[in-house]
Amino acid sequence: MDTVLTNTNTLFFKINPSLKFILISSLFIVYLFVQNLNTMIWASLFFLILYYFVSGLSGKWSFWFVLITLIVSLFSASAMILFGKGSHIIYHQSLILITQESLARGVLLGLRTFTFSLIGMIFATTTLPVPFFYSLMQQLKVPVRYAYGCLAAFRMIPIMAEEFMHIRQAMRVRGMTRQKGVKAFCERMTRYTITMLAQSIRRAQRTAIAMEAKRFSMTEKRTYFYEIGWSRNDVYFVIILLLTVALGFVFSSYFPLTPYTNVLDQ
Amino acid sequence: MSLNDRESWGVTNLRLAFPKKKSMLFKDLSLDYQKGEKILLLGPSGCGKSTLLQVLSGLVPDSVELPMRADRHAVPDNWGFIFQDPDTQFCMPYVDEEIAFVLENRSISRNRMSQLIHHYLDMVDLKLENSHQLIRTLSGGMKQRLAIASVLALEPDVLFLDEPTALLDPRGTVQLWQTVRRIGNDRTLIIVEHKIDHVLDFIDRVVLFNHKGEIFADGPKVTTLARYREKLDDFGIWHPGVWKGYEEKQLDKSDDTFGELILELNHFEVLHQKRVKLFIEELMIHRGEWIAIIGENGAGKSTMIEGIMGLLHTKGKLSWTFPHPEDHVQFVFQNPEYQFVTDSVEDELAFSLRIKKMNEDEIARRVDQSLERYALKEQRLQHPFQLSIGQKRRLSVASAMINHPDVLILDEPTFGQDARNTFALLDLFQQLRQEGTTIIMVTHEMEIVSRFATRTLTIDQGRLVKDTLNESSKEEKRFGYGFDEHEHVIF
Repeated sequence: MDTVLTNTNTLFFKINPSLKFILISSLFIVYLFVQNLNTMIWASLFFLILYYFVSGLSGKWSFWFVLITLIVSLFSASAMILFGKGSHIIYHQSLILITQESLARGVLLGLRTFTFSLIGMIFATTTLPVPFFYSLMQQLKVPVRYAYGCLAAFRMIPIMAEEFMHIRQAMRVRGMTRQKGVKAFCERMTRYTITMLAQSIRRAQRTAIAMEAKRFSMTEKRTYFYEIGWSRNDVYFVIILLLTVALGFVFSSYFPLTPYTNVLDQ
Repeated sequence: MSLNDRESWGVTNLRLAFPKKKSMLFKDLSLDYQKGEKILLLGPSGCGKSTLLQVLSGLVPDSVELPMRADRHAVPDNWGFIFQDPDTQFCMPYVDEEIAFVLENRSISRNRMSQLIHHYLDMVDLKLENSHQLIRTLSGGMKQRLAIASVLALEPDVLFLDEPTALLDPRGTVQLWQTVRRIGNDRTLIIVEHKIDHVLDFIDRVVLFNHKGEIFADGPKVTTLARYREKLDDFGIWHPGVWKGYEEKQLDKSDDTFGELILELNHFEVLHQKRVKLFIEELMIHRGEWIAIIGENGAGKSTMIEGIMGLLHTKGKLSWTFPHPEDHVQFVFQNPEYQFVTDSVEDELAFSLRIKKMNEDEIARRVDQSLERYALKEQRLQHPFQLSIGQKRRLSVASAMINHPDVLILDEPTFGQDARNTFALLDLFQQLRQEGTTIIMVTHEMEIVSRFATRTLTIDQGRLVKDTLNESSKEEKRFGYGFDEHEHVIF
């Protein structure tokens, strides 16, 4: 995780995580209700630009992420494009029916997927788990047991990744990978699951006992090592985000690239 | 010294059972201790020492709900608990945050925290350039000392230590006990431990348990240990004279005649994420050798054997003299659980034979033979995960050996094992070697190196720096990496 992230000393890392969380989640709702294809096109373009500037991912990872997201978006678009309803037929052969309306709807859906991933990644790659959960406890009053529980779980991720490598090596040594076929594949998956579940459950229980042994209690008042507060950066963040969203809407009405202002209209 | 004015805690007539078990773990067990005492609890694996420690600290039944009853159950107000597994004691990613977590629990004000964090890290002699360091980058020994530091942040009067060095290498073990000794001066210590070499100096009372979870001896260190000395061997305790006692029982020192060349490495590199992690200029291994690979943590010992097994990317020459090395070379992982691929001990043994499509009669014969030889007969139908630590290790070796391989490569096979299991394993390896198996093992245990290995390879910073023949010739030649001349050992 550490080699993946670049410099953490940028503006988006210094924003109050709770504020970032709420604003970013509300963006999901906003774009869920956008039915104007032009707005969606401009919005995905602007968020791509924003993502390019603020993402915490290093160049190589960032490139692959955008590429994979594009492919996934294409898939989600294709379902709608290829089998949708509409009156202006572009292409028709057996089951496949492409109409202008379904094309517009499909593209909108694909762009929405794309924008959602970008927005999600802007959040995920600029938010560190520890400050995030501290902020949730301090600003949003999330119960401490959930917050610390999640933090403890975060600690397990690299341990599990390492464990996965070990099991894979062990399977190679035991000759399990030499077996071919669907049955052997299922068998392997079962082994991964059983071994990793057994280890994780054991680890989780031990960690829980260790936490209680350190007098972690769920009700009593506590102090915080990190106090997550507010700063001028939060204002900049709100402005940048509002500007990006607003630009999308403004451009769509002044520079409409397509005639589809509401893809739900027949 | 009057005993009455000191605080005392403990349990009287404790009865405790594990759910779904027919018999009780403890039946009317009593143990009392006083402020300032330093007590060592000794007993065979599975006798309930660890559970008792959790009862004494109040973790049972407060955090771990087990059905228990006691006439008296006095728990100290301020206590700290150090667990066995270095990886599961922490809930935060960074060193400073972990200690801060304890300070937060105690509601210490925020502006005092940084200073206190450094104070506690200094107490356990954990010198880090920056206390904001990822915990998972620390070695096992450092993690355990961090665990002590974070427990010290509770300002405990009583410290419970549950085999804190079971998963540490010898150096980590020594450092840990030095730390405990220093910080334990004015505290009460209750210790469960199997490796007692470094503990004996500073404890004053010993409590011995038998297989049934009963206390059969309890008294001052010197007299108790002297009286029950042979019991320590029975329990598999690592005590100072344990190797000597083992040698007396072990008679045959096998002759060191080696057969033909089986493995040749030449300009061999092991790569990880495109970086060279290990380089060996030249190495030849012959049939019947027992090779010990030693070196510091992170020097590249495991990398070397994983490279030889082809589990990592390698460059250079790696040539076995066998046509199909995968049938002749077997590997045993440090954690046996990772390599179990079936749901019962017998299937586990039969697994690699079934892959080879051997006929079932022959498989049954070999499985029976292995169950007998590795003392797993009773466990035949059990799930591998339900076995004891020693049984798991034996099963992992047995399932590797069932194919009768020519080479057995092991990653710290005696790690975390008690003395009894270790000796049983060493006897086994000795036998296998006499039957012609070449053994290559990574180990930290220098006693094994000097008593068993015919050849020692020392790895340092990803280089093979020393190749020594043990026993017969005592010949030692250094590889002159970085120098003009270089030579290698010729048999």
